[in-house]
This record gives sequence, structure tokens and C-alpha cells, in this order.
Amino acid sequence: MDLGLIAQYLANGILLGTMYALVAVGFTLFFGVLDVIKFSHGDVLMLGTFIGFTAWLGLEAIGIVNPWIQLAGVLLCSLAGTALIGAAIANWLILPLKKAPQLNTLLITLMLGTAIREAVRLFYPNGSNPKAFPALLPDASVEIGSFALRADSVILVVSGLGLIGLLNLVINRTRLGLAIRAVAQDEETARTMGINYTLVVLATFAIGSGVAAFAGIMNGLYYNEINFGMGLILGLIGFSAAIIGGLGNLYGAILGGFLFAGLQVIGAALLPFASAYKDVFAFAVVIALMAWKPTGLIPERSSDRV
Amino acid sequence: MTDISLPQSQLSRPWISAAAVIVAAGLYSWALLMAEETWQVLSLLVLAVVATGVAIKTGFVRRVERDWAASETRLNRLAFAVLIGLILVLSGSHFALLMISTVLLYFVASLGLNIQFGFTGLVNFAGAAFFGAGAYTAAVLGNVAEIPPLLILLAGGIVAMAISLPLLIPIVRTTGHYAAVVTIAFGVLFRTFLEVNEILGGPQGLMVNSMKLFGWDFFNAPSLGNLEISFYVNYALLAAGLAALVFVLFRRLERSWIGLHMDAVRLDETAAACFGISVKRTKILAFLLGNVILGVSGALYGMMISFIAPASFTFSDSLLLVSIVLLGGLGSPWGGAIAAAIVVLLPEKLQLLQEYRFLLFSILVMLVLLFRPEGILPRHLRNFFPNRRTDA
Amino acid sequence: MKFNTGNGLRRIVFTLGATAGLLVATGAQAKDTVELGFIGPLTGGVSSMGLGGRNSAELAVKLRNADPDSKYHYELVALDDECKPNVGVQVATKMATDRKVIGTIAHYCSAVAMGTVDVYHRFGLPMTVWGAVLPDITYGNDYPEITRVNGTMINQNEKAAQFMTGLGYKTFAIIHDTTDYGKGHNKYLSQFLAQDGAEVVGTFGVTSDQQDFTAELTQVKALNPDVVVYAGLTPGGVRVRQQMEKLGIEAVFEGVSGIKSDAFFEGLGGDLAEGTVTFLEGAPAEKLPGGAYFLKEYNAAGYDSPPEAYGPFAFAAMDLLIDAVEASGPDRKAVVDYMSKVKEHDSITGPITFDDHGQNTVALITAYVAQGGKWVVWEDSDYAKGTLSLVAPK
Repeated sequence: MDLGLIAQYLANGILLGTMYALVAVGFTLFFGVLDVIKFSHGDVLMLGTFIGFTAWLGLEAIGIVNPWIQLAGVLLCSLAGTALIGAAIANWLILPLKKAPQLNTLLITLMLGTAIREAVRLFYPNGSNPKAFPALLPDASVEIGSFALRADSVILVVSGLGLIGLLNLVINRTRLGLAIRAVAQDEETARTMGINYTLVVLATFAIGSGVAAFAGIMNGLYYNEINFGMGLILGLIGFSAAIIGGLGNLYGAILGGFLFAGLQVIGAALLPFASAYKDVFAFAVVIALMAWKPTGLIPERSSDRV
Repeated sequence: MTDISLPQSQLSRPWISAAAVIVAAGLYSWALLMAEETWQVLSLLVLAVVATGVAIKTGFVRRVERDWAASETRLNRLAFAVLIGLILVLSGSHFALLMISTVLLYFVASLGLNIQFGFTGLVNFAGAAFFGAGAYTAAVLGNVAEIPPLLILLAGGIVAMAISLPLLIPIVRTTGHYAAVVTIAFGVLFRTFLEVNEILGGPQGLMVNSMKLFGWDFFNAPSLGNLEISFYVNYALLAAGLAALVFVLFRRLERSWIGLHMDAVRLDETAAACFGISVKRTKILAFLLGNVILGVSGALYGMMISFIAPASFTFSDSLLLVSIVLLGGLGSPWGGAIAAAIVVLLPEKLQLLQEYRFLLFSILVMLVLLFRPEGILPRHLRNFFPNRRTDA
Repeated sequence: MKFNTGNGLRRIVFTLGATAGLLVATGAQAKDTVELGFIGPLTGGVSSMGLGGRNSAELAVKLRNADPDSKYHYELVALDDECKPNVGVQVATKMATDRKVIGTIAHYCSAVAMGTVDVYHRFGLPMTVWGAVLPDITYGNDYPEITRVNGTMINQNEKAAQFMTGLGYKTFAIIHDTTDYGKGHNKYLSQFLAQDGAEVVGTFGVTSDQQDFTAELTQVKALNPDVVVYAGLTPGGVRVRQQMEKLGIEAVFEGVSGIKSDAFFEGLGGDLAEGTVTFLEGAPAEKLPGGAYFLKEYNAAGYDSPPEAYGPFAFAAMDLLIDAVEASGPDRKAVVDYMSKVKEHDSITGPITFDDHGQNTVALITAYVAQGGKWVVWEDSDYAKGTLSLVAPK
């Protein structure tokens, strides 16, 4: 195969992997502190992207056209808004159900996801149709043979990886991170040590949702198109990625995200038969992986208390 | 309630309040199915919410549950009789019968899922795939005239079980959310495969032949004098029979030592293993049995709908099945019945809201869960000494 | 009102606009009410098409009710099929077993229509398809109840192949979604392209909700075709066109009827859409006197979503159904008879003539090109005049 082609696939895989990893990180954070799966994660991501899009429309309307200022405005509104929404969901929907079976949290967030999706479709102006997300990043590109390296892709990947790195620092080097890890390990002990449990949970959900919103904006900037259904598939993939990697582990989520992206690209590029089978391929590998490593590639360090 | 003294209701006729509830539920179903106007539907919905709220607050639900436990067989028979009565009363209205049959088949499917994660704690997010496997089996085998149709139902179950065999290793090895992702992957894989592959009709779908029993085609309307009777009566009765059969099986299983093993595995795998229960064998049994039930109900559903396509068996349909189980209360068959009725009938009754109906539906389910976090009728663990224990 | 009795099922009556209601209340009290149905996807991914169709059908009803010469007062019963066959069968049963409903127009999604035709036949409800394009819906059976005003994908692709090869394009890469819609288009387009001497250099199946097409397009880029075809609906079309640009693919972008919507421009934002070619059955609405009237009335009615590509067909189908009721009375059998004899019937999409399968035979296909942020009929465009030009054949 042509070297340029391979480079193109590689670039594509890295970009997708970064995006998936950002979504998966949210799942793994929520699971860490509360042992719950929040299925509305993808739809919250979509909502965040629409908030960013609305912010852009607002900036255009008041005459601010500098793309960098616009970008900053979009990111600020989107991340802050989504973080608030994430905390609100945790406070009013997830914490009240803490004593119920874990699966019921799953159902309530599932329904919340549907509600968010339908609400955007119905109440956002002409929400049932795709929207053109602005290209705010420079669109310069370098042609190397048949491979086009685009500046915006590079910026997106670098900033995405940067955000994951930052998150890693927050979790491992700050007092908040320490509190989050403490709660994740043992809620009761963490409480007795004077950690404000509710606050930590809310902060975690805010952070996770904000990171997802970043993935959403990244998605918008890269594809220049957003729609009300974009969260569903991204959420599903993000969840799978978090699981393959091993829940509750930041590196696992990253690994899972890149692995899933790799599988998709390989499925589309190398399978000798029709590329339509690539999802069949990707999910079959997921099943096989789970049979091989039942608790993910980087398993949680835990032991059953008997 | 004190724990030792005999409950009051047991002195006279212990089952009378529960019997009243069954009859009331029958009448209510009739009213809801026949409701034509917007205001009728809305007032019936409000009535249901208010009545349920009052019943919970006054402890009436507890009492009915207790009475039910005391004279279960009798009350289950009454419920079945009321169901048959309802089908016969509605025998002229095709659509109401179609809805009843759909509710019944979704209920049967939810029983299958309940064995998997209500009892054993095995999460299955590919319910629609196994349901669909049954329906596709019915479509393929229905064209072979020699096979007796009742056998096709069974074959649907067996095929559903067979396609789940490759999942056994990952399912047994994983737990909790990790198992969830295995089934999610399988559900997506199943649907994509059907769409891409042309052998089974591709995305365009397949016709399914109707059910034939002892030379009787189910798409013929039975005739009784001049009465106009819908052919859906056939399906509704068969679905009711299937539901009763699976229900009895489900309750038997729950009370047997197998059910006990399943509960033990769900509650604590390590402890169960310590008591000599084979965790592996129990999980395999629950997974396969659940899939057989899903496949059988799917086969009958396919015959009734008479046309199937991959778009009917997507991930969101699996989620619908899961939400029936969770909404009803894990492992609770009657809760599942109520939840199946809600999940099937509510969106249908909300058609008057047109494009807004799913928004409202999801909000309603969220509200139910906030007020009943354990589901509508949470399951009580088995009670070995019925009169010696408080209702915890 | 003689249709208000009987033991029909619960029905949902879509309340019409207040103005129409007032008109009826004052001017047409003596008229009997006739219920007509609409079924389409009102929720989910393709709901914009369904909502456009519903609004158009509602408009047809509203306009007729405002006409003092009409014999009946019409009410629209609109149901949502979610674009799923099982839900479709359910709502079709509901519609068909409601004796008050005299006829219906139904379905945008082909798989749904394939599942429901038997239901309409079994209960004898006349049904006119307003959007689904799979040939088998009409040609796969002999049911007199089933008719269709829009053309099939066979007609569309025959014209598409002729047109593109006529412009000198020789090599095509087809990306299609794996729904019946995308697969059907792929099948017929490949067939007609081969007949016209062109070569399909690559075919790629993708799922309908796929976000990322880079892997497929990377291969397309290596194949270097004259034309990239996307057979699917608007959301996918927008993404493919967008990502072609990212990868720097220089080729004409050709779509199918599913992308001929205003949302295509909203999703792409002008420049990228420019020069996209697509095809749609029927004469362009704005060219016929009736079509201009439709667009004017639609805009005046103040709906919050556009009629989309198949809105005019929904309007024409509903109008035809109302004509049938006017001519033969509110009786299902009479309406079915009427439909079997429809010939050269005036409509806003051109004259309608049903063949013996109930298929509208006037297979007029119009080619459109995206120019200056809207769809322009090819013959009127600057591209045809030569002032603008598409990407040249290689």
C-alpha cells in the first residue's frame, strides 16, 4: 500500500482516538466515584456542542469575527455550561438514586439522554436538521505525496491530548484529585476523613461533562457539522472504549479510545470484503477482547472483600 | 405491622382486595384501549397516577402484595381469566387486540431478561437481537410447509439460544458493566450483519408467514354467527397462553433450588462459590434459558407483525426491553407486566402529541424512577417463613 | 354528523389551524366530516422529512376546507411510524381498522412501506405513498389499494446515469448507506452506469448514522474517480461532502433524492455545497403554476420546518385523495376504484397517471445543481449556461 495512504489512515485514527478517549474518560471518572454508568453522557456532549454553536451564533450577531476570540468564547460557554449541566444531573437524578439498584441509574440516564436528544430536535430552531459548525481553526495543509496533513487536525489532536494530560495532573497532583481518588476507593472512609462527598461527586461530574463537551466541540470543528443524534453513537463508542480499557482507570480509557479507533480504521482499510462490515469487525474484536481480558486491558486494582 | 400476630386480612377472605385490584385493572385496560378522545386518554392517565399514589401512601399496595403471596394460585388464575375475558370483550377491535398481544409478548420477553438479570445479575443489552433471531427464524422456517408452526416457535427459541453460544465464554468470565459491553457489542453486530448481508433480506426485511395451528390459519377471522371477530383474537389468545406458560415456568424456577442458586450468584458470587454453587453453570443456564424465552416470544411477534426488518431490532429496542425490566422492578414478574403495558401503550396513547411523544415518555419514566427508585413493584426476596417476618 | 358514531378505535385528530376551524364553523356547518390519514416518521433521525410531509398534507387539507365548494369537511389524522417496520405495522393497523378513516397517504421509509402494504390490503384502506422510493412497494404486489405519486429509484437512477455520462464523466465511486434506500440506489445506479459505458471504480457500504467517512474516502482518493456519489439521506451526504474537502478530493459530488433538502445547505454552509448534483422525481415545484402556489401557501402558513424534497408529493397525494373522496364519496371501495382510473390528473408535481400497479408513470426526473446556496434546476443554472463549471472529467 501507498505510504501516503497509510499516513492518512494513521492521522485519521489518531484524531478519532483522541475524541473517543475524551468521551471514555468521562465514563471512567463517573464509574470511579459512584460506580454508575451514566448513559446520557453522549447526549450531554451533544448538548454542550449545541451550546457552543449557539455561543458562536451570538458572537457573530454582536459582530465579533476574530476566529480565535470566537473559539475561546465557544469553548468557554460550552465547557462551563456542560459542566453545570453535568453537576445538575448528578445532583437531581443520580445521587437520589444512589440506594436503588445500580441499573436503575442506567435507566434514568438513558431516559434523560432521550429527553435531551428529543428536546434539542424539537426546540432548537430547525433542530432536526444538521447544522454547519464553523471552521474556526486555520485550514492550512501540507501535502506530502498523497497525504494531506491539515493544521486544524494537528491542533485538535494536540489540544485533546493536552486536555487529557491536564486531567491526569488534576487527578494525580491536586487536592481535588486526591479527594476524587479517595471517594473512588472507599466512600465511607473518605467521608470520615472529612471529605465533602457530595461536592466531590458534583465536581467529578462537572469535570467529566466538561471534557465531553470539549470532545463535542472538537467533533464539530473537525467535521464542521453537528446534529442532534451525534451523541448517541459517540456515547456508545466512548462507553465501549472505557470498558475495553478497564473502568475506573484513566489510562485504560485512553487506551480503549485509541484501540477502538484503530479497529474501525483497520476494519475499513484492510478488510478484503466490503467495508460495510467494519462495525461487525470492530464489535466482534471487542467481544473477543472481553473474553480474553474480562476486566479490561488495564484492570482495576481491586480485591473482593469476602 | 407487628410480625407475629396474624394479618387481619387473613382472618376473613385474604384474597378479596387483590381480586378487586385484578378486576379493576381489567376494567381500566378496557377503558384505556377503547378511549378515543384526547380528554379521555388524559383523564385515564391522571386517574392511574392518582390511584397508584393513593394506594402506595395508604399501604394498600403492601396489603395486596401480602394477600397475593398468601393465595397466589387462585389470584393468578383469576388474572388469567380476566385477561381472556378482556380479549373476548375486545374481539371486534383489531387494533386493541394487536396492542394486547404486543404487550403480552414484550412481557414474555421481559420474563426471559428477568431470569438473566433479575435473578442472576447477568446484564443483557442484546435482548432485541435474540428477540429478532426468533423472528427471523420464524420468517425462514415459515416458508417450509412441512414444519408444524408450534415447532417453529420452539425453533425460534433454539436459534436464539444457538447464536448466543459464542457469547458464553465472555459472559461467564465478565461481570457487571463488562458483561454489558459484550452484549451491546453483540446487539450492534447482529443488526449491522443483517443489514449488510443480503441472505436474510438485507435492510429491506422479510415477509413472515402467519401462524397455522392444526390447519387453522391465524389470519382467518374466527366466525361466530354475525359477530365481527378480529383475526387478532387468535394471536392474542396464543400470546396469553404463552405468557401464562412462561409465567408459571418463571415462578417455578424462582421457587426451585435453581432460582436460589441464581439469587445467590447475583448477590455474591464469592459466597455462592463457597457454598458449592457452580457460578459458571448457573450463569450459563440463566443466559441460555433467558435467550430461549426471548427467541420464542420474538418468533410469535414476527408472525403476528408478518414483516420484519433489521430496523426493528436495534440497540434502542434492546434498551426498551431493558427498561421494562428495570421499570417493573428487577425480578418482579407482575412489575414487568405493568411496565410492559406502560412501555408499549404509553407511546401509542401519546400519539396525540405527535412529534413530542418521546420527549414526554422519557420524562414520565424518569419521574416514575425518582418516586419509585426500585421500580414499580420491587421484588421481595423469597420468604421461607411467611408469617414470621416483617415486610422489609 | 354521521361519522361520529360506531365503535371505531380511538383516534387522534390533529387539530387544524384556528383560522380554518373558524371558517368551517361559520361557513360549512352542513358538511359531513371525513377523516384522512397521514403516516410518516415524526420522531428520530429522518423526522425532518416526516414533519415536512405532514405539514404539506395538513396544508392540503386546510386549503380544501377553506374552499366553500368542497362537499365535505376534512380532518387529518397524523401518526408516527418512527421509520421502523414494526411500529409502521402497528400504526397502519390502527389507521386501517378505524372505519372513520377513508384513505391515507403514508410512509417515507421504504422498509416500513414494504411491511405495511399487506395491512392496508387486508383492511381495504386506500393508501398512497408520498415518499418511499423502493420499486417493490408498488411492483411487488397486485393490491389495488396501493398507489404511489412519486417515482421509484429505478427512474431516478436511469436519468442520473444518462445525465452524468452525458456530461462526459467516466469513473464513479459510490458510497451508500446500508439501508434499503442506499442499497437500492447503489444497485440501480451501478446497473445503469454500466449500461451507459461508465465504470464504477469502488463501492462502499456505510451505516446510516456513521460520523466518520475518512477511511472510505481515503480509498476513494486513491481511486481518483471523476464523480463521488453518495446514496443516502442528507445528514450522511453533508458529512461525506465535508470530509471530501478535508482530504482534498477533487471530484464532482453527486447525491440522490434524499439529499435534495434545504438542510443540505444549512449543514454545509454554502461554499462546499456548490456544484453538487442531485436528482428528484417530478417537475420542479416552483416551475409549475401549482407548485409556486404550494410554496407560497406553505410559507404563508408559518410552519417552523421546511416542506423538504417530498413535501410537494405529500401535498399532491393528499390533494388527489381529497379529489377522490369529492368525486366518489367517503367510501373506501369507491376511493380505491377512483384511484385505479386516475389518468392525467393535475397536481402540483405534474400530471399523475397510475399504471396497473398503481405506480405514477410520469417518470419525469429533474436534475438539480447546488448554486449560490440553493438547488437550481440544471437547465436554468449557470452551469448549464457555461458561466460556471463542475470539476472536469479526468
